[in-house]
This record gives sequence, structure tokens and C-alpha cells, in this order.
Amino acid sequence: MLKTEGLTKRFGDNLAVDDLSLQVERGEVFAFLGPNGAGKTTTVRMLAALIAPTSGRAWVNGHEVGVGDMDIRRSVGILTEAPGLYERLDAVQNLALYAKLYEVDDVQGQVEKYLRMLGLWERRDEQVGGFSKGMKQKLAIARALLHEPPLLFLDEPTAALDPEAARTIRDFIGEVKGLGRTIFLCTHNLDEADRLADRIGVIKQELIQVDSPANLRRSLYGRRVVVHLAAVTEQVQAAVRELPFVKEMQQVDNTLVISLDDPEAQNPIMIERVVAAGGAIRFVNELRHSLEDIYFTLIQDDEQGVTR
Amino acid sequence: MNGDKIRAIVDKEIADARKNKMIVLSMLILPILLVGTVLGTSFFMVRDGGELDEDDMGIIPAELRDIDPMHAFLMIMNDQYLFYFLLIPMMMPVYIAAYSIVGEKETKSLEPLLATPISVGELLVAKSAAAVVPSVILTWLSFVVLLIGSYFIMPGPVLQAMIRPVWLVGMALLSPLLALLSVFCGIIASSRINDPRVAQQVAGIFVIPIIGMSLVVIAGKIFLSVGVMLMTAAITLAVDCAVLYVAVRLFRRETILTRWK
Repeated sequence: MLKTEGLTKRFGDNLAVDDLSLQVERGEVFAFLGPNGAGKTTTVRMLAALIAPTSGRAWVNGHEVGVGDMDIRRSVGILTEAPGLYERLDAVQNLALYAKLYEVDDVQGQVEKYLRMLGLWERRDEQVGGFSKGMKQKLAIARALLHEPPLLFLDEPTAALDPEAARTIRDFIGEVKGLGRTIFLCTHNLDEADRLADRIGVIKQELIQVDSPANLRRSLYGRRVVVHLAAVTEQVQAAVRELPFVKEMQQVDNTLVISLDDPEAQNPIMIERVVAAGGAIRFVNELRHSLEDIYFTLIQDDEQGVTR
Repeated sequence: MNGDKIRAIVDKEIADARKNKMIVLSMLILPILLVGTVLGTSFFMVRDGGELDEDDMGIIPAELRDIDPMHAFLMIMNDQYLFYFLLIPMMMPVYIAAYSIVGEKETKSLEPLLATPISVGELLVAKSAAAVVPSVILTWLSFVVLLIGSYFIMPGPVLQAMIRPVWLVGMALLSPLLALLSVFCGIIASSRINDPRVAQQVAGIFVIPIIGMSLVVIAGKIFLSVGVMLMTAAITLAVDCAVLYVAVRLFRRETILTRWK
């Protein structure tokens, strides 16, 4: 669906994207994360055949960037950082223009389909300039989908939206994902990436890491179980330490944070031992590192030259 | 060139412009002023009659000496005004054209537009057509209004002079081609300069040499005939094609998207 090999972009002396090699499979939601200026938007622009790479190669939907640019533009949808709508025109006029430019057969049908899908049909004749930010963003997403592209580039789809609008957009992206489309999502919203993405790529000019959030959690932190007790006694600590599969244990107030390889299999044994040692367990949960933790760990590792 | 895509952009541009009262007013004001001036001046000259002095008689060429001096004077005056009619569609759309690319960049609508499968040639032709077509139609309409008004005001020979072939060819051919030329210049300015106001000023400068050449004609240094009009139209067409080619070559998608803020 999408593949890059050593993709590099320079603007004069400024290296925007350095030697990027990655692959995104059909039907996958790939979240592209990185600080401001990391090269996310530049990468999207290269992959959408808007700007040319300085070196390296990329293929999008079977067409090579720089060779089949017109075919690439026909086969991808793009939501740019700003909605970029024609504010004096109404919603139908905005979408109809793009449907014609994307050579859609049933212009009116497709426009109606997406306006209804995104809850804008009742406001179709109003000038877009009077729309809220959320409505404009919905319209811009509809514009990107009109020609039913198999690959969708979404650049910060929920940036600057209020929580309700952001949630609507996120839910809609989830629906689009459910329809089997491939989504390349650039975002600063790590919670959004965590919810939607099958894999994430962290970039800071060069690609730092690519994997699924679950694999990154496991590889960076292992798996940790938190046992909440009425009181942590010496006997309970000793009973846990004696277990051969316990890799590490920390006490934090009345909780024990225990590193395990396979909590599903090892938790029942561990809990049995704790109870046998007189521990009064209140509840047990897995310590789940947020994508934010993962992101900052990877960025800090990169800055300190740590390789994993 | 895909006609459907070009028409889609033209429709959008015109729909957008129609909702902008300033653009509509600025396009209407010039033809209204010109038609009003010609009809008003002619009306008072015909009504009040009067004698022409020696200076006035001096500008009447030999071939018009046999007819009524007032009629001859009106014919000469109208010829000059009609020349301005040729220039209206050149002046009207240049500022719209100058804003066309840089304006889209400013409203951030250029990137989604360039992400569609439209070629630079199609985009520029569409933008040019959107600026030229309303201007030419307005000019033609105002010419028709002028002729209708003249029918009631002007003496017969003067009216006949206004609809002689040289002017009809000029209106039908040269006027749109001159408009295209100025619009292409405006679009070059718009796609190379990242500030809309500067682009509009520079586009205005592009038009000065063309207007200068027009003044040479008005001053009588070149005699206007159908042949001259057709030859000028052919040359203008060739220059249009060359300027469009230059405009497409000068359009830098990447620079516009990445360097302009």
C-alpha cells in the first residue's frame, strides 16, 4: 500500500526528513508521531505527490512518487493541517468542486452521502464561513473521502477542536478504519493515536521506532502488575520475592508493583502466595504505560543516543 | 487539458467572486463609468450643438472633412472611447488574477487543491478563464448597452461608425486576447510573490507596457483597420501562448507550499 526507501527531503541546508524507510500495509492505521518540525507534514506531502523527495524512493498504491504523481493524487485522500475550505461557498459547492476535480462519476450522490454521514446535510446550503471549527473539519474530511480513496492521509485531524468535536472526528476515523481503508495519521494527540493506530512510527527527522503500541510497551517496560493491599508486610514481600518468575518488585505505600513476563498465567499463583502470607488484597491491576510515556522515552532515548 | 476540471474551477471562482461585493462593485464600476461618460458627453454635444473651434477642426482627418463637422468630431471621440472598451477587460481582471494563487495560499485552500489530480496548466487556464470570462462578458454587455443608448442619442452616421467591422472584430477577438494577456501576467505575479498586495501591484506594472502601446494607437500613430486589428489579434494570441507557457514553467508547487507563510 505504502512503502518508502531512504526517503530524504532537504530544504536548503535544513534536513527535514532523513533516510525514512517504512512500510504501511493495506487496511492499517499508522500513526506518525513526532515533535513540531520533525518532518511529519513534509513526509505526507512527499507521499501525496505534492512535493518531490531530495533522494530516496516511495511507492503509494503501486505508483512511484515522482513517476506516477497524477495517479497517486487520484488514489489518495488528504486532510491538510488547515481545512482550507472556500468560506464564501456553501458545503455542497465546496464538495462538488472537489468531486469534479477527483473525477467522481456521481458527484451529487457522493456529496450527499458524505454530508449525511458527517451530519452536515441539514446545513448543506449555508456558507462554510459560518461553520464551527468542528464542522469545517468534518467537511474537510468529507472532501478527502469523496473519491473513495483506499489510502487516507490525515494531518492533525483533531487539532484545535473542542473535546466534543474531536471525539466525533475520532469516532468517524474509527468508522473509516472499519471500512478497510488505510489511514496514515499524523498527530500530536497521543491518546488518539493509542486508540486508533495499529502501529505507530516516531519520527524526528529520521525514524526512531516503528511498532504496535502493545509491542512498544512490552519492549520498553515489560509488564507490571500492581497489587493493592490493606498493608504491605515483610511476610507478603518475602512470599512474592520467593517466586521464581518475579523479575522485579517495588513497594509504593500499600501497593506492590511487580514485573512479570506472563501476568495471565502467573497472577493466580502470585495472588495465592500473597493471600497465604496473610496479605489482604483489595484489588489487582496491570500498570499500563500511556503512549505518552512511550513517546517521551523514545524521544529521550534518541536525544541521549540510546538504542534499543 | 480536462475541460470538466477547468469548468469546475471557473464555476467555483465565479460563485466565490459573486459573493464578494467588493469584487462585483470593482468590476462594474469601470464599464458603468465609461458607458455613462460616452452617452452623457454625446447627449450634451448633440443637444447643445455649437460651433467647433479651429483646434477641434484640426483633429478631423481629411476623409471626414465632407461630413458635418460635429458628426466627424463625435466619430473621432467615440473611436477613442471605443478603444478604451478594448482595454476594459484587460484592466478589470488583472487584480483578480493577481490574487488568484497567492489568495488561495493565504486562505490555506491551495494545498488541498494542489493535492487533486489537476495539472498546473489546467489550474492556470481555469484561473485565467475565471478572471477573463466575466470581464469580457461585462465589456460586451456594456458595449451593447452603449449601442442601444447611442441609437437614441447619436446621429445616424455616427452610430454607423460605431458598428463598423474594425470595432466588431476588436471587441470579439482582440479584447478577450488582451484580457488573457494581462491575466496571465497577473497569475505569474500571483504564483511568484507571496504577498497578495505586492502581487497585485506588480501585476499592475506588467500591464503598463500594454497600455502604453495602446496609447500609441489612440494617439493616431498607428491607423486602425480590420487588417491591423486581425494582425494585432494574431500577435496577441501568440504572445498569450508564450506567456501561458512561461506562467506554467514559473509555477513552483513546492516553493508555494513550503516557503510561503
